[in-house]
Amino acid sequence: MMENILEVKNLSKKYKDFELKSINFKLKKGMIMGFIGENGAGKTTTIKAILDIIKNYKGEIKIFGLDNKKNDKTIKEDIGVVLDDMFFPEILMPIDINSIMKDNYKNWDSNLFFKELSDFSLPKNKQIKTFSKGMRKKLEIVTALSHHPKLLILDEPTSGLDPIARNEVIDIFQDFIQNEECSILLSSHITTDLEHIADYITFINDGEIILSKTCDELLEEYGIVKCNESDFKKIDQKDFIKYKKNKYEYEILVENKKEFLKKYNVTTIDKLTLEDLMLLMIKGVK
Amino acid sequence: MLGLIKKDLLMIKSNIKTLFIILVVYGVMAYQGQMDLSFILPFMSVMIMISTFSYDAYNKWDAYASCLPNGRQNSVRAKYIATLLLIIITTAIVTILMIAIAYARTKSIDLESVFSTVLGTAFATIILQSFMYPSIYKFGVEKARIGIFIVVFGIAIVGGIIAKYIDFKPMFQVLDNLGNYWMIILPVVMILVLYLSYKISEGIYKKKEY
Amino acid sequence: MEIIISNSSGIPIYEQIKDQIKAKIITNELHAGELLPSIRSLAKDLRCSVITTKNAYEELVKEGYVITIPAKGFYVAEINMEIAHEEQLNKIENLLDTVVIIAKSNNITREKINEILDILYEEEK
Repeated sequence: MMENILEVKNLSKKYKDFELKSINFKLKKGMIMGFIGENGAGKTTTIKAILDIIKNYKGEIKIFGLDNKKNDKTIKEDIGVVLDDMFFPEILMPIDINSIMKDNYKNWDSNLFFKELSDFSLPKNKQIKTFSKGMRKKLEIVTALSHHPKLLILDEPTSGLDPIARNEVIDIFQDFIQNEECSILLSSHITTDLEHIADYITFINDGEIILSKTCDELLEEYGIVKCNESDFKKIDQKDFIKYKKNKYEYEILVENKKEFLKKYNVTTIDKLTLEDLMLLMIKGVK
Repeated sequence: MLGLIKKDLLMIKSNIKTLFIILVVYGVMAYQGQMDLSFILPFMSVMIMISTFSYDAYNKWDAYASCLPNGRQNSVRAKYIATLLLIIITTAIVTILMIAIAYARTKSIDLESVFSTVLGTAFATIILQSFMYPSIYKFGVEKARIGIFIVVFGIAIVGGIIAKYIDFKPMFQVLDNLGNYWMIILPVVMILVLYLSYKISEGIYKKKEY
Repeated sequence: MEIIISNSSGIPIYEQIKDQIKAKIITNELHAGELLPSIRSLAKDLRCSVITTKNAYEELVKEGYVITIPAKGFYVAEINMEIAHEEQLNKIENLLDTVVIIAKSNNITREKINEILDILYEEEK
């Protein structure tokens, strides 16, 4: 049985002013992985390498156990993508997309496509350019799903959506993984979306993966301690990951809040959110 | 691949009405003997096809297409085939119309002159396509358009200057002597140039990063 | 079946799911042999990740409240009510322990505690 639906090994790519430094992570079958990081941290570049639409990157990428370059066509039959700002020319209409795609994918499902269109109340006979940003995003998602892919690769699929639309979209993603053969790699900077539905979180910063863990582990084990300066000075350097000095307090990111509580007598330890984690990881110091 | 060809043809769907209007206007003018009908339609179809490149670029279609099965391999081919299809269809329509108009006007048909006009038209449009497409793939629509203008004008100006000092007549003489062989030479040159252009475009496209 | 998840309580979500299903089994709201929702559909309905519901079910299996039949799903187990009851009493004892500590350190009388308990019982009805 193939456990990993996606495997990225030692992926690196050099640009003039930016570099991916040996990216490694794995996505298990049936799971949702949230890919988080600042804008410009390397999320999109990594995704483009996985899809083999950039050149000259080093490392090995396996999708469904197959090399992404050698088996390009086979793999892409089973992948659905939503990429930032990349789509059909906007003078086309959803109905055109259907007639184009049914000749592109073996498994294209016109019934499903039109059903999802009407569920999202998207018109099928209007040019895409008349759509609002949210409608466009929904159309991209519906298009990505209509050939029954096994892996969805989504770059910022919820950006530009209002909370209600975001909710609908997340429902669709969870519907999608009801089939345990299906997995999702989903990059987002709206971390609250991911907190709820992601099984794994992979965090990229400045071209480097700084952690890749199950979301539950992360949210339960990691914690943010708040304390004053004198308490902070008593804390051993090796017992925390990063800290940030605010006007009235110190915020300290700790890897295991239970251990930390045993060792130190601190006043406040907060439940972590992905947003806090991102902030402290990026803005914090050690 | 069929899907990709369909995509290019669907994109110009809204232009078909324009083409039809042009056809009617020029058809009437041709009937009155003010105009030669042959050129305008095939030429327009290449221009319309070129405009699809702008839409593609605006929505980063090529990057998206690369994520479809065989999308990267077939995009360029689909564009060439869609354009050729359009040229063939419009040329066929124009040919039939020219014959019909000629017959209506003079009650006789000079097939040889019709076909030489059609061949000339096809040659010119395909050469235009063959030069435009690789430059578009390399530099984008806007730059390619300007570039081609400069090149064409450049050749005309340089040609004009040279013509002042050198007598071209012997050269035209040679061309004239080729006479009836044109019916064979033109199609062969046309296919060669088109094939070469396709290969160059494909080479450029394969190296693209998104 | 009702399960109410709080994102702000600080209690891990898998634990909330586990506790609530357990409570339903003990109070016989869920009967032995009953099929529980699948890991994936529960995750969807509760808007949480698959791993979370999987953890909750695995814990329930470990504690003997739920059995798993491969390729079929998770079923409510035949449980020993006495042991389950004992466990709940333990829990109450632990919580009351905290109450007693706080009461004693603040000189709050036992009568006052009883009074509060009476009020709370009234309200719960």
